[in-house]
Amino acid sequence: MSAEALVARDLTKTYTLRGGITVPALRGVSLTIHPGERFALLGRNGAGKTTFLRIASTLLVPSSGTVEVFGHDAIGDPDSVRPLLAVVPQEGKPFFHLTPREQVYTYLCARGFSRATAKARTEEALEQMGLEEVADRLSVTLSGGQRQRTVVATVIATEAPLLFLDEPTIGMDPFARRGVWETFRRLTRRGSTILLTTHYLDEAENLAQRLAIVERGRVLVVGTSESLKQQVGGTFRVSVGGGSRIRPQLASFGNLVEDGEAVHVIVGPERVQEILALSVREGLAATVGPVTLEEAFLSVVGHSINEES
Amino acid sequence: MALARIRWAGTGEFTLTELRVQLHEGLAIVTSMVVQAVLLTFVVLLARSILPYALIGAVLYSVFMLGQRVQNEAAYIRIDHKLSDLYHASPLSAEGYFVGMSAGVLLAYLPPILVLAVVLELVAPLGAVATLVLIATAAALWLFTCSLGYVISTFFRDNRAIWPYASLITSAFGVLPPVLYPIRFLPGYWHPIAMLLPTSSAACLVEAAQGGLVALSAPTLALGAVALLVEAVGVFLFALYWARRSAQER
Repeated sequence: MSAEALVARDLTKTYTLRGGITVPALRGVSLTIHPGERFALLGRNGAGKTTFLRIASTLLVPSSGTVEVFGHDAIGDPDSVRPLLAVVPQEGKPFFHLTPREQVYTYLCARGFSRATAKARTEEALEQMGLEEVADRLSVTLSGGQRQRTVVATVIATEAPLLFLDEPTIGMDPFARRGVWETFRRLTRRGSTILLTTHYLDEAENLAQRLAIVERGRVLVVGTSESLKQQVGGTFRVSVGGGSRIRPQLASFGNLVEDGEAVHVIVGPERVQEILALSVREGLAATVGPVTLEEAFLSVVGHSINEES
Repeated sequence: MALARIRWAGTGEFTLTELRVQLHEGLAIVTSMVVQAVLLTFVVLLARSILPYALIGAVLYSVFMLGQRVQNEAAYIRIDHKLSDLYHASPLSAEGYFVGMSAGVLLAYLPPILVLAVVLELVAPLGAVATLVLIATAAALWLFTCSLGYVISTFFRDNRAIWPYASLITSAFGVLPPVLYPIRFLPGYWHPIAMLLPTSSAACLVEAAQGGLVALSAPTLALGAVALLVEAVGVFLFALYWARRSAQER
Protein backbone atom coordinates (compact mmCIF):
# COMPACT_ATOMS: atom_id res chain seq x y z
CA MET A 1 0.00 0.00 0.00
CA SER A 2 1.20 3.52 -0.81
CA ALA A 3 2.20 6.09 1.79
CA GLU A 4 -1.09 7.97 1.72
CA ALA A 5 -4.49 6.63 2.74
CA LEU A 6 -6.32 8.90 0.34
CA VAL A 7 -5.19 11.35 -2.31
CA ALA A 8 -7.82 13.36 -4.18
CA ARG A 9 -6.73 15.63 -7.00
CA ASP A 10 -8.83 18.37 -8.61
CA LEU A 11 -12.13 16.62 -8.02
CA THR A 12 -15.13 18.19 -9.66
CA LYS A 13 -18.69 17.01 -9.69
CA THR A 14 -21.59 18.66 -11.45
CA TYR A 15 -25.09 17.29 -11.10
CA THR A 16 -27.48 17.78 -13.98
CA LEU A 17 -31.07 18.16 -12.84
CA ARG A 18 -34.29 17.95 -14.78
CA GLY A 19 -34.53 20.67 -17.38
CA GLY A 20 -30.78 20.65 -17.90
CA ILE A 21 -30.05 22.73 -14.81
CA THR A 22 -26.50 22.06 -13.64
CA VAL A 23 -25.41 22.25 -10.02
CA PRO A 24 -21.70 22.23 -9.28
CA ALA A 25 -21.20 20.23 -6.08
CA LEU A 26 -17.40 20.03 -6.13
CA ARG A 27 -15.19 22.58 -7.85
CA GLY A 28 -11.63 21.31 -7.79
CA VAL A 29 -11.11 19.62 -4.44
CA SER A 30 -7.66 18.28 -3.64
CA LEU A 31 -6.96 16.57 -0.32
CA THR A 32 -4.43 14.15 1.10
CA ILE A 33 -5.19 12.04 4.16
CA HIS A 34 -2.38 10.21 5.90
CA PRO A 35 -2.57 6.62 7.16
CA GLY A 36 -3.79 6.38 10.73
CA GLU A 37 -5.16 9.91 10.67
CA ARG A 38 -8.55 11.14 11.86
CA PHE A 39 -9.61 13.80 9.36
CA ALA A 40 -12.81 15.84 9.50
CA LEU A 41 -14.62 17.60 6.67
CA LEU A 42 -16.61 20.58 7.88
CA GLY A 43 -19.01 22.66 5.90
CA ARG A 44 -22.52 23.97 5.68
CA ASN A 45 -25.37 21.88 4.33
CA GLY A 46 -24.82 21.37 0.62
CA ALA A 47 -21.17 22.42 0.77
CA GLY A 48 -20.05 19.22 -0.95
CA LYS A 49 -18.89 17.07 1.98
CA THR A 50 -21.08 14.07 1.25
CA THR A 51 -20.40 14.29 -2.48
CA PHE A 52 -16.67 14.16 -1.76
CA LEU A 53 -17.10 11.27 0.62
CA ARG A 54 -19.23 9.30 -1.85
CA ILE A 55 -16.71 9.79 -4.64
CA ALA A 56 -13.80 8.81 -2.41
CA SER A 57 -15.64 5.71 -1.22
CA THR A 58 -16.31 4.51 -4.82
CA LEU A 59 -20.05 5.22 -4.69
CA LEU A 60 -20.10 8.13 -7.11
CA VAL A 61 -18.16 8.97 -10.28
CA PRO A 62 -16.76 12.52 -10.39
CA SER A 63 -17.03 14.79 -13.40
CA SER A 64 -13.23 15.08 -13.40
CA GLY A 65 -10.26 14.49 -11.16
CA THR A 66 -8.70 11.44 -9.54
CA VAL A 67 -8.86 9.61 -6.20
CA GLU A 68 -6.32 7.11 -4.97
CA VAL A 69 -6.92 4.97 -1.90
CA PHE A 70 -3.69 3.41 -0.67
CA GLY A 71 -2.38 3.79 -4.21
CA HIS A 72 -5.40 2.19 -5.92
CA ASP A 73 -7.56 4.07 -8.40
CA ALA A 74 -10.90 4.47 -6.60
CA ILE A 75 -12.72 5.65 -9.71
CA GLY A 76 -11.40 3.43 -12.47
CA ASP A 77 -10.88 0.30 -10.39
CA PRO A 78 -13.34 0.41 -7.47
CA ASP A 79 -13.13 -3.36 -6.92
CA SER A 80 -9.52 -3.05 -5.81
CA VAL A 81 -10.43 -0.33 -3.32
CA ARG A 82 -13.66 -1.65 -1.77
CA PRO A 83 -12.03 -4.32 0.43
CA LEU A 84 -9.98 -1.50 2.01
CA LEU A 85 -12.88 0.65 3.13
CA ALA A 86 -16.15 0.78 5.01
CA VAL A 87 -18.79 3.51 5.03
CA VAL A 88 -21.29 4.85 7.53
CA PRO A 89 -23.81 6.43 5.15
CA GLN A 90 -25.49 9.70 6.01
CA GLU A 91 -28.83 8.89 7.64
CA GLY A 92 -28.09 5.19 7.29
CA LYS A 93 -30.29 2.77 9.19
CA PRO A 94 -29.82 -0.92 9.95
CA PHE A 95 -32.19 -3.52 8.54
CA PHE A 96 -35.26 -2.98 10.70
CA HIS A 97 -35.99 -6.70 10.75
CA LEU A 98 -32.59 -7.74 11.97
CA THR A 99 -31.27 -7.36 15.49
CA PRO A 100 -28.06 -5.36 16.01
CA ARG A 101 -26.21 -8.64 16.58
CA GLU A 102 -27.54 -10.07 13.30
CA GLN A 103 -26.86 -6.82 11.44
CA VAL A 104 -23.19 -6.67 12.40
CA TYR A 105 -22.60 -10.41 12.06
CA THR A 106 -24.23 -10.82 8.65
CA TYR A 107 -22.45 -7.76 7.31
CA LEU A 108 -19.08 -9.14 8.35
CA CYS A 109 -19.94 -12.49 6.76
CA ALA A 110 -20.93 -10.75 3.54
CA ARG A 111 -17.54 -9.01 3.57
CA GLY A 112 -15.89 -12.40 3.63
CA PHE A 113 -14.90 -12.79 7.28
CA SER A 114 -14.98 -16.32 8.69
CA ARG A 115 -17.92 -17.05 10.97
CA ALA A 116 -15.68 -17.29 14.04
CA THR A 117 -14.01 -13.95 13.34
CA ALA A 118 -17.34 -12.35 12.49
CA LYS A 119 -18.82 -13.58 15.75
CA ALA A 120 -15.92 -12.32 17.87
CA ARG A 121 -15.82 -8.92 16.16
CA THR A 122 -19.59 -8.58 16.42
CA GLU A 123 -19.50 -9.02 20.18
CA GLU A 124 -16.61 -6.58 20.51
CA ALA A 125 -18.30 -3.92 18.37
CA LEU A 126 -21.61 -4.26 20.20
CA GLU A 127 -19.82 -3.82 23.50
CA GLN A 128 -17.88 -0.79 22.26
CA MET A 129 -21.09 0.83 21.10
CA GLY A 130 -22.91 -0.01 24.33
CA LEU A 131 -25.48 -2.12 22.53
CA GLU A 132 -25.23 -5.34 24.57
CA GLU A 133 -28.60 -4.85 26.26
CA VAL A 134 -30.47 -4.36 22.99
CA ALA A 135 -28.35 -6.67 20.85
CA ASP A 136 -31.17 -9.18 20.37
CA ARG A 137 -34.01 -6.74 19.83
CA LEU A 138 -35.20 -6.04 16.32
CA SER A 139 -33.78 -2.72 15.16
CA VAL A 140 -37.26 -1.44 14.39
CA THR A 141 -37.86 -1.27 18.14
CA LEU A 142 -34.68 0.72 18.89
CA SER A 143 -34.35 4.47 19.39
CA GLY A 144 -32.80 6.63 16.69
CA GLY A 145 -29.52 6.84 18.58
CA GLN A 146 -29.38 3.08 19.09
CA ARG A 147 -30.01 2.50 15.39
CA GLN A 148 -27.21 4.91 14.55
CA ARG A 149 -24.90 3.10 16.96
CA THR A 150 -25.83 -0.17 15.25
CA VAL A 151 -24.74 1.21 11.88
CA VAL A 152 -21.51 2.52 13.40
CA ALA A 153 -20.92 -0.84 15.11
CA THR A 154 -21.41 -2.57 11.76
CA VAL A 155 -18.71 -0.46 10.19
CA ILE A 156 -16.16 -0.34 12.99
CA ALA A 157 -16.33 -4.12 13.34
CA THR A 158 -14.70 -4.38 9.90
CA GLU A 159 -11.57 -2.57 11.15
CA ALA A 160 -11.13 -1.60 7.50
CA PRO A 161 -7.99 0.38 6.72
CA LEU A 162 -10.07 3.41 5.66
CA LEU A 163 -13.37 4.32 7.30
CA PHE A 164 -15.71 6.93 5.84
CA LEU A 165 -18.14 8.22 8.44
CA ASP A 166 -20.81 10.62 7.23
CA GLU A 167 -22.19 12.33 10.33
CA PRO A 168 -21.60 9.21 12.42
CA THR A 169 -22.89 10.48 15.77
CA ILE A 170 -26.03 12.24 14.61
CA GLY A 171 -28.90 11.56 16.98
CA MET A 172 -26.68 10.19 19.76
CA ASP A 173 -26.70 11.49 23.31
CA PRO A 174 -23.53 13.18 24.66
CA PHE A 175 -22.44 10.05 26.57
CA ALA A 176 -22.84 7.85 23.52
CA ARG A 177 -20.98 10.36 21.35
CA ARG A 178 -17.99 10.35 23.67
CA GLY A 179 -17.97 6.57 23.71
CA VAL A 180 -17.96 6.54 19.92
CA TRP A 181 -15.11 9.07 19.81
CA GLU A 182 -13.02 6.83 22.05
CA THR A 183 -13.72 3.89 19.76
CA PHE A 184 -12.62 5.92 16.74
CA ARG A 185 -9.40 6.87 18.54
CA ARG A 186 -8.78 3.21 19.34
CA LEU A 187 -9.32 2.25 15.71
CA THR A 188 -6.77 4.77 14.47
CA ARG A 189 -4.29 3.57 17.09
CA ARG A 190 -4.73 0.11 15.56
CA GLY A 191 -3.92 1.54 12.13
CA SER A 192 -7.24 2.50 10.53
CA THR A 193 -7.68 5.90 8.91
CA ILE A 194 -10.88 7.86 9.47
CA LEU A 195 -12.48 10.50 7.28
CA LEU A 196 -15.60 11.91 8.87
CA THR A 197 -18.03 14.67 8.16
CA THR A 198 -19.82 16.35 11.01
CA HIS A 199 -21.83 19.40 11.93
CA TYR A 200 -20.74 19.04 15.56
CA LEU A 201 -17.70 21.29 15.78
CA ASP A 202 -16.86 20.03 19.25
CA GLU A 203 -16.69 16.57 17.71
CA ALA A 204 -14.28 17.76 15.04
CA GLU A 205 -12.19 19.60 17.62
CA ASN A 206 -12.03 16.63 19.99
CA LEU A 207 -11.58 13.93 17.44
CA ALA A 208 -9.91 15.15 14.26
CA GLN A 209 -6.18 15.57 14.04
CA ARG A 210 -6.67 17.64 10.89
CA LEU A 211 -9.71 19.13 9.29
CA ALA A 212 -10.80 20.87 6.14
CA ILE A 213 -13.53 23.44 5.70
CA VAL A 214 -15.50 23.03 2.50
CA GLU A 215 -17.74 25.72 1.13
CA ARG A 216 -19.64 25.66 -2.16
CA GLY A 217 -17.57 22.79 -3.48
CA ARG A 218 -14.17 24.23 -2.63
CA VAL A 219 -11.74 23.57 0.18
CA LEU A 220 -11.20 26.85 2.01
CA VAL A 221 -8.62 25.73 4.57
CA VAL A 222 -6.88 22.57 5.70
CA GLY A 223 -5.06 22.23 8.99
CA THR A 224 -5.31 21.44 12.63
CA SER A 225 -8.00 22.89 14.80
CA GLU A 226 -5.41 25.18 16.42
CA SER A 227 -3.92 26.36 13.14
CA LEU A 228 -7.38 27.11 11.87
CA LYS A 229 -8.14 29.23 14.90
CA GLN A 230 -4.89 31.13 14.41
CA GLN A 231 -5.74 31.79 10.78
CA VAL A 232 -8.78 33.81 11.72
CA GLY A 233 -6.78 36.65 13.17
CA GLY A 234 -6.36 35.96 16.84
CA THR A 235 -6.67 33.62 19.75
CA PHE A 236 -9.20 35.63 21.78
CA ARG A 237 -12.88 36.18 21.27
CA VAL A 238 -14.46 39.31 22.70
CA SER A 239 -18.24 38.92 22.66
CA VAL A 240 -20.11 42.21 22.73
CA GLY A 241 -23.82 41.95 23.57
CA GLY A 242 -25.76 44.29 21.26
CA GLY A 243 -22.52 44.88 19.38
CA SER A 244 -24.28 45.12 16.05
CA ARG A 245 -24.99 48.77 17.00
CA ILE A 246 -21.27 49.60 16.89
CA ARG A 247 -20.36 47.10 14.18
CA PRO A 248 -18.16 49.52 12.12
CA GLN A 249 -15.99 50.35 15.15
CA LEU A 250 -15.68 46.70 16.14
CA ALA A 251 -14.76 45.73 12.58
CA SER A 252 -11.69 47.93 12.82
CA PHE A 253 -10.25 45.64 15.52
CA GLY A 254 -10.39 42.31 13.68
CA ASN A 255 -12.58 39.59 12.22
CA LEU A 256 -16.22 39.64 13.24
CA VAL A 257 -18.59 36.76 13.75
CA GLU A 258 -22.17 37.98 14.04
CA ASP A 259 -24.66 36.14 16.17
CA GLY A 260 -27.97 38.01 16.15
CA GLU A 261 -27.50 41.26 18.02
CA ALA A 262 -24.25 40.02 19.55
CA VAL A 263 -20.93 40.41 17.76
CA HIS A 264 -17.84 38.30 18.45
CA VAL A 265 -14.55 39.99 17.63
CA ILE A 266 -11.57 37.72 16.97
CA VAL A 267 -8.38 39.49 18.07
CA GLY A 268 -4.94 39.04 19.53
CA PRO A 269 -4.39 39.72 23.25
CA GLU A 270 -3.10 43.27 22.63
CA ARG A 271 -6.50 44.51 21.38
CA VAL A 272 -8.71 43.00 24.06
CA GLN A 273 -8.48 45.95 26.47
CA GLU A 274 -9.39 48.45 23.75
CA ILE A 275 -12.55 46.57 22.82
CA LEU A 276 -13.60 46.20 26.44
CA ALA A 277 -13.07 49.92 26.95
CA LEU A 278 -15.14 50.73 23.86
CA SER A 279 -17.92 48.44 25.05
CA VAL A 280 -18.00 50.10 28.46
CA ARG A 281 -18.14 53.56 26.85
CA GLU A 282 -21.08 52.43 24.71
CA GLY A 283 -22.84 50.82 27.68
CA LEU A 284 -22.58 47.31 26.23
CA ALA A 285 -21.68 44.11 28.11
CA ALA A 286 -18.65 42.24 26.86
CA THR A 287 -16.99 38.93 27.74
CA VAL A 288 -13.62 37.51 26.76
CA GLY A 289 -12.74 33.90 26.03
CA PRO A 290 -10.59 31.73 23.78
CA VAL A 291 -11.56 31.42 20.14
CA THR A 292 -13.55 28.24 19.51
CA LEU A 293 -13.51 26.16 16.38
CA GLU A 294 -17.10 27.19 15.80
CA GLU A 295 -16.12 30.86 15.65
CA ALA A 296 -13.19 30.08 13.41
CA PHE A 297 -15.52 28.09 11.16
CA LEU A 298 -18.11 30.86 11.05
CA SER A 299 -15.45 33.42 10.35
CA VAL A 300 -13.82 31.44 7.51
CA VAL A 301 -17.10 30.49 5.87
CA GLY A 302 -18.57 33.96 6.46
CA HIS A 303 -15.61 35.58 4.67
CA SER A 304 -16.01 33.19 1.78
CA ILE A 305 -19.71 33.95 1.46
CA ASN A 306 -19.04 37.70 1.53
CA GLU A 307 -16.33 37.41 -1.10
CA GLU A 308 -18.49 35.34 -3.44
CA SER A 309 -21.43 37.67 -3.11
CA MET B 1 -15.46 -10.92 -21.96
CA ALA B 2 -18.09 -9.04 -19.99
CA LEU B 3 -19.34 -12.30 -18.49
CA ALA B 4 -15.85 -13.16 -17.30
CA ARG B 5 -15.80 -9.94 -15.29
CA ILE B 6 -18.87 -10.81 -13.27
CA ARG B 7 -17.97 -11.06 -9.57
CA TRP B 8 -19.93 -13.22 -7.22
CA ALA B 9 -18.11 -12.42 -3.97
CA GLY B 10 -20.44 -12.55 -0.98
CA THR B 11 -23.49 -13.79 -2.91
CA GLY B 12 -24.15 -16.75 -0.61
CA GLU B 13 -23.74 -14.73 2.56
CA PHE B 14 -25.93 -11.90 1.33
CA THR B 15 -28.55 -14.48 0.36
CA LEU B 16 -28.58 -15.61 3.98
CA THR B 17 -28.78 -11.99 5.17
CA GLU B 18 -31.77 -11.29 2.97
CA LEU B 19 -33.38 -14.57 3.99
CA ARG B 20 -33.05 -13.61 7.66
CA VAL B 21 -34.59 -10.21 6.95
CA GLN B 22 -37.50 -11.74 5.07
CA LEU B 23 -38.13 -14.47 7.64
CA HIS B 24 -38.61 -11.82 10.31
CA GLU B 25 -41.61 -10.70 8.26
CA GLY B 26 -43.50 -13.97 8.40
CA LEU B 27 -46.90 -12.36 8.04
CA ALA B 28 -45.90 -10.88 4.69
CA ILE B 29 -44.92 -14.35 3.50
CA VAL B 30 -48.22 -15.86 4.59
CA THR B 31 -50.32 -13.05 3.14
CA SER B 32 -48.43 -13.23 -0.17
CA MET B 33 -50.91 -15.92 -1.20
CA VAL B 34 -54.11 -14.08 -0.29
CA VAL B 35 -54.84 -12.77 -3.79
CA GLN B 36 -54.17 -16.17 -5.35
CA ALA B 37 -56.29 -17.96 -2.72
CA VAL B 38 -59.23 -15.61 -3.23
CA LEU B 39 -58.97 -15.95 -6.99
CA LEU B 40 -58.86 -19.74 -6.80
CA THR B 41 -61.89 -19.73 -4.52
CA PHE B 42 -63.84 -17.71 -7.07
CA VAL B 43 -62.69 -20.04 -9.84
CA VAL B 44 -63.87 -23.09 -7.87
CA LEU B 45 -67.25 -21.46 -7.23
CA LEU B 46 -67.84 -19.84 -10.62
CA ALA B 47 -65.76 -21.53 -13.33
CA ARG B 48 -64.44 -24.82 -12.10
CA SER B 49 -63.47 -25.91 -15.62
CA ILE B 50 -60.57 -23.42 -15.70
CA LEU B 51 -59.21 -24.45 -12.30
CA PRO B 52 -56.13 -26.24 -13.75
CA TYR B 53 -55.24 -23.07 -15.72
CA ALA B 54 -55.79 -20.91 -12.65
CA LEU B 55 -53.62 -23.17 -10.50
CA ILE B 56 -50.74 -23.26 -12.99
CA GLY B 57 -51.16 -19.51 -13.41
CA ALA B 58 -51.23 -18.94 -9.65
CA VAL B 59 -47.87 -20.72 -9.25
CA LEU B 60 -46.31 -18.67 -12.05
CA TYR B 61 -47.97 -15.45 -10.92
CA SER B 62 -46.50 -16.03 -7.44
CA VAL B 63 -43.06 -16.49 -8.97
CA PHE B 64 -43.53 -13.32 -10.98
CA MET B 65 -44.46 -11.40 -7.83
CA LEU B 66 -41.05 -12.28 -6.35
CA GLY B 67 -39.60 -9.70 -8.71
CA GLN B 68 -41.94 -7.07 -7.33
CA ARG B 69 -40.74 -7.94 -3.84
CA VAL B 70 -37.12 -7.58 -4.96
CA GLN B 71 -38.01 -4.25 -6.52
CA ASN B 72 -39.59 -2.98 -3.32
CA GLU B 73 -36.86 -4.37 -1.09
CA ALA B 74 -34.00 -2.98 -3.20
CA ALA B 75 -35.62 0.44 -3.38
CA TYR B 76 -36.51 0.48 0.33
CA ILE B 77 -33.08 -0.39 1.66
CA ARG B 78 -31.37 1.95 -0.80
CA ILE B 79 -33.65 4.96 -0.40
CA ASP B 80 -34.87 4.69 3.19
CA HIS B 81 -31.98 2.90 4.88
CA LYS B 82 -29.01 3.81 2.65
CA LEU B 83 -27.81 0.27 3.23
CA SER B 84 -26.83 -0.14 -0.40
CA ASP B 85 -23.98 2.32 0.30
CA LEU B 86 -22.86 0.19 3.23
CA TYR B 87 -22.79 -2.94 1.06
CA HIS B 88 -21.56 -1.44 -2.21
CA ALA B 89 -18.54 0.14 -0.50
CA SER B 90 -17.37 -3.29 0.60
CA PRO B 91 -15.90 -6.48 -0.87
CA LEU B 92 -19.44 -7.78 -1.49
CA SER B 93 -19.80 -7.51 -5.25
CA ALA B 94 -22.63 -5.50 -6.77
CA GLU B 95 -23.68 -8.64 -8.64
CA GLY B 96 -23.66 -10.60 -5.38
CA TYR B 97 -25.84 -7.95 -3.77
CA PHE B 98 -28.46 -8.21 -6.54
CA VAL B 99 -28.41 -11.98 -6.89
CA GLY B 100 -28.20 -12.54 -3.13
CA MET B 101 -31.21 -10.32 -2.55
CA SER B 102 -33.16 -12.15 -5.27
CA ALA B 103 -32.20 -15.56 -3.92
CA GLY B 104 -33.00 -14.58 -0.34
CA VAL B 105 -36.46 -13.40 -1.34
CA LEU B 106 -36.96 -16.61 -3.34
CA LEU B 107 -36.01 -18.85 -0.42
CA ALA B 108 -38.29 -16.97 1.97
CA TYR B 109 -41.29 -17.04 -0.33
CA LEU B 110 -40.74 -20.53 -1.74
CA PRO B 111 -42.79 -22.43 0.89
CA PRO B 112 -46.15 -20.82 0.00
CA ILE B 113 -45.38 -21.32 -3.69
CA LEU B 114 -44.69 -24.98 -2.97
CA VAL B 115 -48.00 -25.21 -1.14
CA LEU B 116 -49.71 -23.94 -4.30
CA ALA B 117 -47.77 -26.50 -6.33
CA VAL B 118 -48.95 -29.26 -3.98
CA VAL B 119 -52.54 -28.07 -4.37
CA LEU B 120 -52.04 -28.13 -8.14
CA GLU B 121 -50.70 -31.68 -7.90
CA LEU B 122 -53.71 -32.75 -5.82
CA VAL B 123 -56.37 -31.05 -7.92
CA ALA B 124 -54.95 -31.32 -11.43
CA PRO B 125 -51.87 -33.55 -11.37
CA LEU B 126 -49.25 -32.65 -13.95
CA GLY B 127 -47.38 -35.27 -15.94
CA ALA B 128 -43.63 -35.59 -15.63
CA VAL B 129 -42.95 -33.47 -18.71
CA ALA B 130 -45.35 -30.75 -17.63
CA THR B 131 -43.77 -30.73 -14.16
CA LEU B 132 -40.32 -30.28 -15.67
CA VAL B 133 -41.62 -27.53 -17.94
CA LEU B 134 -43.23 -25.83 -14.94
CA ILE B 135 -39.94 -25.91 -13.03
CA ALA B 136 -37.95 -24.65 -16.02
CA THR B 137 -40.36 -21.87 -16.91
CA ALA B 138 -40.68 -20.82 -13.26
CA ALA B 139 -36.87 -20.59 -13.05
CA ALA B 140 -36.72 -18.49 -16.22
CA LEU B 141 -39.55 -16.31 -14.98
CA TRP B 142 -37.76 -15.82 -11.65
CA LEU B 143 -34.61 -14.68 -13.46
CA PHE B 144 -36.62 -12.28 -15.57
CA THR B 145 -38.79 -10.80 -12.86
CA CYS B 146 -36.05 -10.32 -10.24
CA SER B 147 -33.78 -8.73 -12.83
CA LEU B 148 -36.52 -6.41 -14.01
CA GLY B 149 -37.48 -5.52 -10.44
CA TYR B 150 -33.91 -4.75 -9.40
CA VAL B 151 -33.19 -2.60 -12.45
CA ILE B 152 -36.41 -0.63 -12.02
CA SER B 153 -35.67 -0.05 -8.34
CA THR B 154 -32.48 1.84 -9.21
CA PHE B 155 -34.29 4.57 -11.13
CA PHE B 156 -36.19 6.06 -8.22
CA ARG B 157 -35.27 8.44 -5.42
CA ASP B 158 -38.59 8.18 -3.62
CA ASN B 159 -40.35 4.97 -2.63
CA ARG B 160 -43.79 6.41 -3.19
CA ALA B 161 -42.95 7.11 -6.82
CA ILE B 162 -42.44 3.39 -7.42
CA TRP B 163 -45.93 2.32 -6.36
CA PRO B 164 -47.76 3.25 -9.58
CA TYR B 165 -45.11 1.51 -11.68
CA ALA B 166 -45.31 -1.61 -9.53
CA SER B 167 -49.06 -1.69 -10.06
CA LEU B 168 -48.63 -1.17 -13.80
CA ILE B 169 -46.06 -3.95 -14.12
CA THR B 170 -48.16 -6.39 -12.09
CA SER B 171 -51.13 -5.69 -14.34
CA ALA B 172 -49.15 -5.79 -17.58
CA PHE B 173 -47.36 -9.05 -16.83
CA GLY B 174 -49.52 -10.87 -14.30
CA VAL B 175 -53.18 -9.88 -14.53
CA LEU B 176 -54.02 -8.89 -18.12
CA PRO B 177 -52.22 -11.59 -20.14
CA PRO B 178 -53.45 -15.20 -20.07
CA VAL B 179 -51.60 -16.34 -16.99
CA LEU B 180 -54.49 -17.05 -14.65
CA TYR B 181 -57.00 -17.87 -17.39
CA PRO B 182 -56.82 -19.92 -20.64
CA ILE B 183 -55.35 -18.23 -23.70
CA ARG B 184 -58.37 -19.38 -25.72
CA PHE B 185 -60.35 -16.57 -24.09
CA LEU B 186 -58.30 -14.15 -26.20
CA PRO B 187 -58.85 -13.62 -29.96
CA GLY B 188 -56.31 -15.55 -32.05
CA TYR B 189 -54.40 -12.47 -33.18
CA TRP B 190 -53.46 -11.79 -29.57
CA HIS B 191 -51.81 -15.20 -29.15
CA PRO B 192 -48.37 -14.32 -30.60
CA ILE B 193 -48.33 -11.15 -28.51
CA ALA B 194 -49.20 -13.13 -25.39
CA MET B 195 -46.34 -15.49 -26.20
CA LEU B 196 -43.91 -12.60 -26.13
CA LEU B 197 -44.65 -11.93 -22.48
CA PRO B 198 -42.65 -14.20 -20.17
CA THR B 199 -45.54 -14.79 -17.79
CA SER B 200 -48.15 -15.87 -20.32
CA SER B 201 -45.64 -17.78 -22.45
CA ALA B 202 -44.58 -19.72 -19.32
CA ALA B 203 -48.21 -20.53 -18.51
CA CYS B 204 -48.97 -21.63 -22.07
CA LEU B 205 -45.85 -23.79 -22.28
CA VAL B 206 -46.83 -25.67 -19.11
CA GLU B 207 -50.42 -26.03 -20.31
CA ALA B 208 -49.19 -27.31 -23.67
CA ALA B 209 -46.92 -29.83 -21.95
CA GLN B 210 -49.94 -31.06 -19.99
CA GLY B 211 -51.60 -32.51 -23.10
CA GLY B 212 -54.88 -30.99 -24.10
CA LEU B 213 -55.00 -27.94 -21.86
CA VAL B 214 -54.05 -25.58 -24.65
CA ALA B 215 -54.22 -25.91 -28.41
CA LEU B 216 -51.49 -23.69 -29.85
CA SER B 217 -49.50 -24.34 -33.01
CA ALA B 218 -45.93 -25.56 -32.70
CA PRO B 219 -44.50 -22.31 -34.12
CA THR B 220 -46.48 -20.29 -31.58
CA LEU B 221 -45.21 -22.43 -28.73
CA ALA B 222 -41.67 -22.23 -30.11
CA LEU B 223 -42.00 -18.46 -30.21
CA GLY B 224 -43.07 -18.54 -26.55
CA ALA B 225 -40.16 -20.76 -25.51
CA VAL B 226 -37.57 -18.70 -27.36
CA ALA B 227 -39.02 -15.42 -26.12
CA LEU B 228 -39.03 -16.62 -22.52
CA LEU B 229 -35.45 -17.87 -22.73
CA VAL B 230 -34.12 -14.78 -24.49
CA GLU B 231 -35.95 -12.41 -22.18
CA ALA B 232 -34.88 -14.23 -19.03
CA VAL B 233 -31.22 -14.51 -19.97
CA GLY B 234 -31.08 -11.12 -21.66
CA VAL B 235 -32.67 -9.19 -18.82
CA PHE B 236 -30.62 -11.11 -16.24
CA LEU B 237 -27.34 -10.28 -18.00
CA PHE B 238 -28.39 -6.66 -18.31
CA ALA B 239 -29.29 -6.60 -14.61
CA LEU B 240 -25.84 -7.94 -13.71
CA TYR B 241 -24.27 -5.18 -15.78
CA TRP B 242 -26.66 -2.61 -14.34
CA ALA B 243 -26.07 -3.73 -10.76
CA ARG B 244 -22.37 -3.08 -11.23
CA ARG B 245 -22.92 0.22 -12.98
CA SER B 246 -25.44 1.56 -10.49
CA ALA B 247 -23.21 0.65 -7.54
CA GLN B 248 -21.11 3.62 -8.63
CA GLU B 249 -23.54 6.39 -9.48
CA ARG B 250 -22.93 8.69 -12.43
